[in-house]
Amino acid sequence: MTSRIRIQQQDFDLAEEYELLRQTDSAVGAVVTFSGLVRDFEVEADVGVEDVTCAKKSIDSLSLQHYPGMTEKLLEAIVEQANTRWNLIATTVIHRVGDLAPREQIVLVGVASQHRAEAFEAAQFLMDYLKTQATFWKSIRRDNQQQWIHSKASDKQAAERWSRSKDE
Amino acid sequence: MINLLFFGRLGDFAKAVPSTLEASTPAEARELLAADFPDLGRELYEPQVLVSVNKMIVPWDQPLFEGSEVAFLPPVTGG
Repeated sequence: MTSRIRIQQQDFDLAEEYELLRQTDSAVGAVVTFSGLVRDFEVEADVGVEDVTCAKKSIDSLSLQHYPGMTEKLLEAIVEQANTRWNLIATTVIHRVGDLAPREQIVLVGVASQHRAEAFEAAQFLMDYLKTQATFWKSIRRDNQQQWIHSKASDKQAAERWSRSKDE
Repeated sequence: MINLLFFGRLGDFAKAVPSTLEASTPAEARELLAADFPDLGRELYEPQVLVSVNKMIVPWDQPLFEGSEVAFLPPVTGG
């Protein structure tokens, strides 16, 4: 399996990344890509239950911190797990760090495989694990004030369902 | 001496904290930090906070050596 892992400040080109996945091998029959963007609002979610009654708060920008050297290793391990579970031909994980404005791209996960089921599933698995295991921390800026984002219980649950389905 | 790193919101509580410390385990480092910096200490004792040594998540009683890089990691929020 070919894997591309990048942590970078600069933007990425979805079409270019898709093309790289597509051209990896002539056995590629499916390419799934997911891109995550900066929203112009954040719902205040405390650790535990997500508060649905809490109003959406608009944000000016978002900032992403990571642990250089460790994040790469964790992403490699996550990709390796995906490759063990599914028969994948190529994967791409790109995560941006630094200051990002609403509408900007944050993250890209791309998977190329022979058939669509494994590409869909592996892409979702990669995102779920990236969200809960990779050492990135997000803060928002609003009215010149910085505020760290809380982890979401729903992200943890999303990742946990993969360990359940393995036992079934 | 070990080297200390604080990520995410923990960094806000660790602005006045020295970057090195004498400790034989992460648990001891946390205890020493909590004694001098109670606000940071409360955060470090949150059950969701993990610790890594030389970029590997480890248990709190992991032995430390000269130059070990100890990082305190709040729950991650990337993606």
